[in-house]
Amino acid sequence: MTVCENSYFHAFSNEKIGKNAIFGAISYMHAHAIIYMTHISKNKLEGLPRRLFKVLPYFLAVLLWVILATYGQYFLKKVEDLSIFMFDWQYFKEAIQIPGGFLGVAGSFFTQFLYLPWLGSLIWVFLLLTTYQLTVKAFKLSEIFKALAIIPVALFIIGNMSLGYGVFIMREQDHFFAPLLGYMAALIPLFAIRHIKTFGNKIILLVLWTAIGFPLFGTFALIGTLSASCVTLMNQEILRGKRLSILVVSIALIILIPLIAYNFFTSYRLADSWHLGLPTISEDVWTHAIRSPLQLALLFLPVMSLISSRFKENSKSSKSIIIQVSIYIISIAAVWIFWFKDDNFRTELAMSEAVDRFEWQKVIDIYQDAVNSHAKSDAKAYADRTAKLKGVKNQNTINEIVDSYNDRFFEPTRTMVIYRDLALLKMNRALDEAFTMKDGGRPQNSRTQIPMVFQSGKQLYLQYGLVNMSYRWCLEDVIEHSWSYSTLKYMAMHCIIMQESDFAYKYLNKLNKTIFYRNWAKEQMALSCDSALMSISKPYEEILPYMCFENRMSNDMMKSEKFLMQHFSEPEPPHATPEYDRAALLWAMRTQNIPLLWQRIIPYLISNNVSVLPRGVEEAAFLYSSLEKKGIELPYSKEVKDNYDAFNRYVNSNPIRNMKEAAYPYAQKFGNTFFYYYYFIRNLQTY
Amino acid sequence: MKKLSIPALAMLFVACSPKAPATYSTANSVPTIFPDYTDITIPCNIAPLNFLIEEQADAFITVLKSTSVEIVIKGSEVRIPKSKWNKLTNAPEISVQIFGYTDKQWTAYKPFKMTISDEIDPYISYRIIPVAVEAYEKLSIHQRSLTSFKENVVFANTMVHNNSQGTCINCHYYRNWETDNMLFHVRQYKGGTVLVLNGELHKVNMKTDSTLSAGVYPAWHPTHDYIALSNNRTHQSVHAASHDKLEVLDDISDLILYDIKNNTVSVIENDSCELENYPAWSADGKKLYYVSYRYEGGYGDKRKNEMFLAREDFHFNLYSKSFDPDTRTWGPVVMEYDAAAVDSSITWPRVSPDGTKLLACISTHGVFPLDQIVSDYIMFDLTSGSYRHVDELNSPFAESYHTWSSNGKWIVFSTRREDGVHTRLYFSHIDENGRFSKPFALPQRDPEFNREFLYAFNIPEFMKEPVHISPRQFASFISSTEATRSKYESKREK
Repeated sequence: MTVCENSYFHAFSNEKIGKNAIFGAISYMHAHAIIYMTHISKNKLEGLPRRLFKVLPYFLAVLLWVILATYGQYFLKKVEDLSIFMFDWQYFKEAIQIPGGFLGVAGSFFTQFLYLPWLGSLIWVFLLLTTYQLTVKAFKLSEIFKALAIIPVALFIIGNMSLGYGVFIMREQDHFFAPLLGYMAALIPLFAIRHIKTFGNKIILLVLWTAIGFPLFGTFALIGTLSASCVTLMNQEILRGKRLSILVVSIALIILIPLIAYNFFTSYRLADSWHLGLPTISEDVWTHAIRSPLQLALLFLPVMSLISSRFKENSKSSKSIIIQVSIYIISIAAVWIFWFKDDNFRTELAMSEAVDRFEWQKVIDIYQDAVNSHAKSDAKAYADRTAKLKGVKNQNTINEIVDSYNDRFFEPTRTMVIYRDLALLKMNRALDEAFTMKDGGRPQNSRTQIPMVFQSGKQLYLQYGLVNMSYRWCLEDVIEHSWSYSTLKYMAMHCIIMQESDFAYKYLNKLNKTIFYRNWAKEQMALSCDSALMSISKPYEEILPYMCFENRMSNDMMKSEKFLMQHFSEPEPPHATPEYDRAALLWAMRTQNIPLLWQRIIPYLISNNVSVLPRGVEEAAFLYSSLEKKGIELPYSKEVKDNYDAFNRYVNSNPIRNMKEAAYPYAQKFGNTFFYYYYFIRNLQTY
Repeated sequence: MKKLSIPALAMLFVACSPKAPATYSTANSVPTIFPDYTDITIPCNIAPLNFLIEEQADAFITVLKSTSVEIVIKGSEVRIPKSKWNKLTNAPEISVQIFGYTDKQWTAYKPFKMTISDEIDPYISYRIIPVAVEAYEKLSIHQRSLTSFKENVVFANTMVHNNSQGTCINCHYYRNWETDNMLFHVRQYKGGTVLVLNGELHKVNMKTDSTLSAGVYPAWHPTHDYIALSNNRTHQSVHAASHDKLEVLDDISDLILYDIKNNTVSVIENDSCELENYPAWSADGKKLYYVSYRYEGGYGDKRKNEMFLAREDFHFNLYSKSFDPDTRTWGPVVMEYDAAAVDSSITWPRVSPDGTKLLACISTHGVFPLDQIVSDYIMFDLTSGSYRHVDELNSPFAESYHTWSSNGKWIVFSTRREDGVHTRLYFSHIDENGRFSKPFALPQRDPEFNREFLYAFNIPEFMKEPVHISPRQFASFISSTEATRSKYESKREK
């Protein structure tokens, strides 16, 4: 017990609270359960569980809040970033053009508070607690069976926190709060029908609720109707015939009201009528996955309506206690298992937020923290793998063993690397430092690969001066998914940099109707009317130098990294700026194309008036000269030459039988050189 | 008590009603209002022209006056009640006087007027579309009453497509402004051309083995059961850094004739080196106008990219072909206007209902004026053969799709004049001398609508009546009906 408590508190005292904290909490819960089931004497069973079950939901709520506000903060911020709520009549009108639209508006209203993750998560946790309490009340659960009410709460947590990369391709961005609010709305008829005595009035209630509720709450209203009729069905005080009639009426309403409503709406297919209000992802497989916990939570209502009478009386048997403890353990374990806990995803989100704020040093710090935090686990993985490989001679077996250890080594995603390079470029450190940092291309840990352009396209293109491409991806995002604070912001920045002030007004005016972006919009309005001020303000002063290229037609085919490589491989623009030349040289080095480096290096040297070559450039030039036995004579430093010799000596003394196997020991010695990048970071899949 | 209170309330109401100030100074300038409705000609049956006053003042009073009625409205947002507006428009003109209150005194801005003119068709329809994108998740064709603010959806693609299979809808068109005979195209999922023939729904696939694609830009024959359509293979590309956002071009395009009665398709023009496009019938249906550009570049994979590179050389000329609708035979190609000779490109020809005028778009290059920074109007007098640039309609931004009203007195056109990007609908009256009046924006209940609305209006078409088929009927039909394949028939030439 002490050990568990200590590990829990230790986890909280650590700044990197997330994973450890959850693990600590789970361990803590587990310990409790075991103690109850094995050691507690029967005498103690009466008092302790009651007190524990009273406190436990609040304790878990606080724990959840702390985890969300710390470990989950970047995800929550991204959810908010990709959502929209405006105090705007047109927004409201557009939103309610679908049954369940009102729920969407309400969900979006709360989602805006995720701008401050601690506040938004506090509201969400409060609503989860309210859901728990309402469920207890709705089914009149006795003290000892209250644990049942934790089931829908756990399912809603899973619904949100299992989303992962799906957040970038959600069709509606109200998903974080809307289903929870929908569930609460579905409880309304359940409460109401109990207070109505006459058969006729019960029918009227169901008709009115379904007819009014469906346009407002979509499917959730239908679930409310079904649950209310199930409650009545189990009410033995009402005549059987009447109970059955109510069930028949409610089923008829569930079928007919959506059919009738379809005549008044034009924004969905008839076939979709019975799941309006549930979140949709543009990939069908993903939609099913994300809807499943929510559908289970909704199914909970009619099922509980049918069986809740069994849980109204207090039971003090140890069996009941074991059941309650099991429900808690299973719920918490399910949340833990389905919670998307991918380090690279979290790092990407954190870097993305820093890019949005143009905090370039922070971008690099986040990246380096991610690399450093895996140093020990990488070393352990290497040691384990070396032990496993000991004595193995067969090449196929070696390859298999090496491959089986791949996932245990840290490798950044391309998005992380590209964010990092962007930040380094903005601080004029890229050519010195880009190749001193860990590189790679670990695929996203997601059901389907989300194109990088959905994730970071608008940011990267804007920052690299490809402003129309940024604008285009904002719009594609709007059409494929929905309007968001993020798209409005980037569209406004595009218009400002293009000095299209009337056009910028459109987007800034919308942001002016929000709570958290109002001030930003006002600042930008001033810049949109003053190009001189704009050109010396962030982020524009850092973007304008990249816009020196001649306009050309372009299509990225949804592959933003490849497109950026192509863009910077185009012939040197006549009025290239030092910033552009630095970016072009960096991207040339990224292509590992030797002639391209030679093409780019001279304009760079001239425009940047370089006296000392940046380390990465020097290493690349020296390596390429050595490989080609020709090249440009540059004043290579002794350090670079010695390093290259050392690299070659190491290669000779450590023959490589498998590149992946060799990567770790080589990286330990030469991971901070272009030589390592050239030989070991190859054939990366771009997306 | 009741008898007393009603007159008392009436008196109170009158006392509270705004009045024009008795004393004021005068300003020499016409006030800035949005939309700009100053000194315009308007149809006698148009909906109230609500507007915003965009001058600096603490308070405003607007007086709208015609021979029979005077309305006084307080505030910077001028929303005119429909019943009073109807009385105002029942006169030859409306004079509008705006007063602004600053520094404890009223100033009268220079008054402006709205001249009341010919009736306009009571409905228009248009497509609501996001700007400059390839995705088509949410597209809808709307119809709007011009005599009121009532707008409803004719059809929306969201009613048909599912999460993974998209449907694009485009190019709605009516035969002689009547909705009993209309069409629009559905692409991709559940695709086909939806034809309404005498109120009955049909779905046709006009793609044959001998033609390039299904029909695209349509022109319904005014007297016979034919529809001329273009066949296009369209591509889009983004301008990396330019005020132009998007470039659209066809790497191949032809013209076909669809015979409605026999469900057959025949070629009108399909020269492999010519990019024929935008068919438009003369008023009597005996001539087909279209535009074309001769491109002799290579074929294959690189064609599209080469064409994007050479896009600024694409100068489309105006051509015509005579047509005998009874025998369905075509005459030779005649060049009507050599736009290339003046480094221009002509697109979207539309002939007036009386057959005397042809209005078209003219831009520096290309086939898709909507996505050019500048595209203007050029009008041809078909009786004399003369033409002129219609400066009274043109703005510094792109003017694009336009349609004549059924009485030939009005045009509606889409223009980017408000913010340079979002197309908005404007109307203009043409007088007996062929001069257009100052264009004015489609009236909206909320005068700020055009500024707030984040989508574009596209393909405005006048209608004498609303579409009677409900969106649900369209959706159910499109979802459940397979398109009937058209048969190919060879072209008949004189």
